[in-house]
Amino acid sequence: MKRIVIFLFSFFLLINTGFGQAKKPTLMVLPSDAWCNSKGYMLEFDNQGTKEKIPDYKRAFQEDLDLINVVSKINEIMAQRGFPLKNAETVLKSLAAESAEDNMTTGKTKGGSIAESPVDKLKKTAKADIILQLTWDVLATGPKKSVRFNLQGLDSYSNKQVAGAQGTGEPSFSAEVAVLLEEAVLSKMDNFVTSLQSHFDDMFENGREVVIRIKKFDSWSDDLEKEYNGKQLGEIIEDWVQANTVKNRFSKTDYTENMMLFEQVRMPLYDASNKALDTRNFVRNLQKLIEAPPYSIPCKLTMKGLGQATLTLGDK
Amino acid sequence: MKKLSGVIIVVVAFLLSGLPTHSAFAQAKKKANKDTEDWRYEVECAGVGKEGTYMIKVWSYSKKPQVAMEQCKKNAVHAVIFQGFAGGGQGCTPQKALTNNPALEQEKADFFAEFFADGGKYMKYVSTANDGAIGAGDRVKVGKEYKVGVIVTVAKDNLRKDLENAGIIKSLTSGF
Repeated sequence: MKRIVIFLFSFFLLINTGFGQAKKPTLMVLPSDAWCNSKGYMLEFDNQGTKEKIPDYKRAFQEDLDLINVVSKINEIMAQRGFPLKNAETVLKSLAAESAEDNMTTGKTKGGSIAESPVDKLKKTAKADIILQLTWDVLATGPKKSVRFNLQGLDSYSNKQVAGAQGTGEPSFSAEVAVLLEEAVLSKMDNFVTSLQSHFDDMFENGREVVIRIKKFDSWSDDLEKEYNGKQLGEIIEDWVQANTVKNRFSKTDYTENMMLFEQVRMPLYDASNKALDTRNFVRNLQKLIEAPPYSIPCKLTMKGLGQATLTLGDK
Repeated sequence: MKKLSGVIIVVVAFLLSGLPTHSAFAQAKKKANKDTEDWRYEVECAGVGKEGTYMIKVWSYSKKPQVAMEQCKKNAVHAVIFQGFAGGGQGCTPQKALTNNPALEQEKADFFAEFFADGGKYMKYVSTANDGAIGAGDRVKVGKEYKVGVIVTVAKDNLRKDLENAGIIKSLTSGF
């Protein structure tokens, strides 16, 4: 009886670990800066004497019906493919509501408010792992109109375009812009999804492409050039990255005594126990190494989405 | 009795006269299927179809125009799965194939042999536009063969979904 129980337990354990699922990236459609600028959906502010413009997504979603239709069509197609997108308009609304709720929340007995560091505040923006950046304009030749359409899938961490579809539709005398836009979405989405699929295939084969930053607090008296058994700390970190990446793939973009930047780091999607990894879990192992003897350096680990982690040395 | 044997002779002669035609038709069909396997067909976009469909024009070859016309349906589904097609006029956008695995046809040979058999499952996803009527210039005699162009509609969303469910092609979410 005992044997049967052990067998069943190991069997279910095997099933559980055997079907590990990779962390699913989040996707969100946003209009491009160029589109917002051409439509006048921009916010202008004075940045220490320099006038700067940033896109006003809230106004764009409140006022542009064509934008809502296009975003909704893309969302619908992606949901049919089993990949529902985050809806930017709803994300913006829930961020505003969450902020208001945080301001109003106080503890019942001690009257404390919600703890929020300046970094936490900065991180409260609409974000996704892959941004589907949307641009279109209407071209006119005499009475004929056509739509030039461009959809780019941009990876938020590597800043690379991982998918794309673009082109100009057939000019029409009579069709309305809304119809031309729908036609553009319908005819371009298959190619877009195919290129996104190729990106995912590459990710499963060669690992997720992420960015790792190493920094130091200025209160820490040592730096990355400190030597341990004839090796600099920076080299020890680099060796760890090399040993733990898929096919040893990474690029060391910057290396000074104060900071290191690793780009195009191909981290595995699963750990040794077949559990899905994000960049924080991945870099956590490096943190453990550095915090343990002989280095014994306290470190602070912060993450940004699935694909970026920063390890700051010298403090917690 | 003499009368009866006369009738039998007439019936046998009638059946025998039909056999060569039937055999030629079967041979033409076999050749057309071989052409599909050898990618001997041409496909071009014919317009923007309804949502979830592709409207394409397929050119097929056969000594029998009827066979070529019928083979166009099979070739259309074959092209959508393995080849994709170029864009052009009528607001057409080039479309990639449903699979990006170049060896899929060989890897899943058993599945596709059944799928593309005469009267096979491929029929579920394809229909001819204009009731199969072809334009004046769409039936061309090339040497001993006919080259026939037919506009067909392929239900690509359904086709993709069914192939994903059957585990033949990967879905966007596979692995997540």
